[in-house]
Amino acid sequence: MPRRLARGIDFHVQDLGAGPPVVMLHGLLLGSVATWFFTVAPTLAATHHVRLFDLRGHGLSERPQRGYGTAEMALDLDALTTDLDEPFALVGHSYGALVALRFALDHPARVARLVLVDAPLPPSELAPLVAMKPDVLLAALPEAVQQAAARGGRQIRRLLASVGALLQDTSLAADVAAEPDVPDEALVSLVCPTLCVYGDASPCLPAGQRIARLVPGARLVVLRGGHFLHVDAPGPLAAAIQEHLRA
Amino acid sequence: MVHEETLALVARLLREVMNEPEGLGPEITRDTAFSADLELESIELVALAEKLGTHYGPRVDFVAWLSGMELDAILSLTVGDLVEHIDTCLAG
Repeated sequence: MPRRLARGIDFHVQDLGAGPPVVMLHGLLLGSVATWFFTVAPTLAATHHVRLFDLRGHGLSERPQRGYGTAEMALDLDALTTDLDEPFALVGHSYGALVALRFALDHPARVARLVLVDAPLPPSELAPLVAMKPDVLLAALPEAVQQAAARGGRQIRRLLASVGALLQDTSLAADVAAEPDVPDEALVSLVCPTLCVYGDASPCLPAGQRIARLVPGARLVVLRGGHFLHVDAPGPLAAAIQEHLRA
Repeated sequence: MVHEETLALVARLLREVMNEPEGLGPEITRDTAFSADLELESIELVALAEKLGTHYGPRVDFVAWLSGMELDAILSLTVGDLVEHIDTCLAG
């Protein structure tokens, strides 16, 4: 597997396609390179160089004990993109969108365009989710995951093992709970063209409305679906992102 | 004949990404579905695509193939579908 050592951590990185660079970040716990690899990335890779990587602790990347706040993860992103032509486009889902937002605020010259897919604000909104009992959490997940759980086989065993390890053996839950909100002044100061894509049935939609209201020139696109828009509406999501990257 | 060689290679690489030694784990045939039968994790399918890319090079474009597919179709892919795709690419 293509791997890269950054900040002392062994990361799994995938590069697809050729063209202007776009980096895509997945969400916490259930997310991995596969979030985008099987949904939106193939469409974007027809015209762009798409870089995907597993966030620390996720997918095939190493799982360190600490460093799951957006500041640390934005430093990971920084270290894993030093070879890209700049500025590059940045797309993130859920907590990955918060990492992307943090990076865009810290490095405005490095981000050409920003796409926030169902980013929760304040970030601590995610804290109850990571503290949920497994059966409650399961009901909030995409149908395919629920079906796998009902079968009780290899997929769900491995998923529970990886989520369990992140919640029990790392500081992830505490880091998410301690994550501060992004203040209005910061959102108002964001200079890169920003697209917010949210699900009409997602509990995160008010966050999208707030971001789109405050970030200068930002646009909000609401698609039919919940928090996992790459599963609920992969085609419309890819089209919205493509249009923003082309504009 | 070509199909049989490709099937054997896909089965070997699948066992590698699933960490299942030869002779253990489920039988892998043309009709085996990645998700319903093997319960392959999506990240393992990424790893399989990577291995196929390393083996065949740019002749077999897995990502372009996926770009024309709905998510439901990807979730119900079988080993035979992949073998067919590889051999079509190699024949072209």
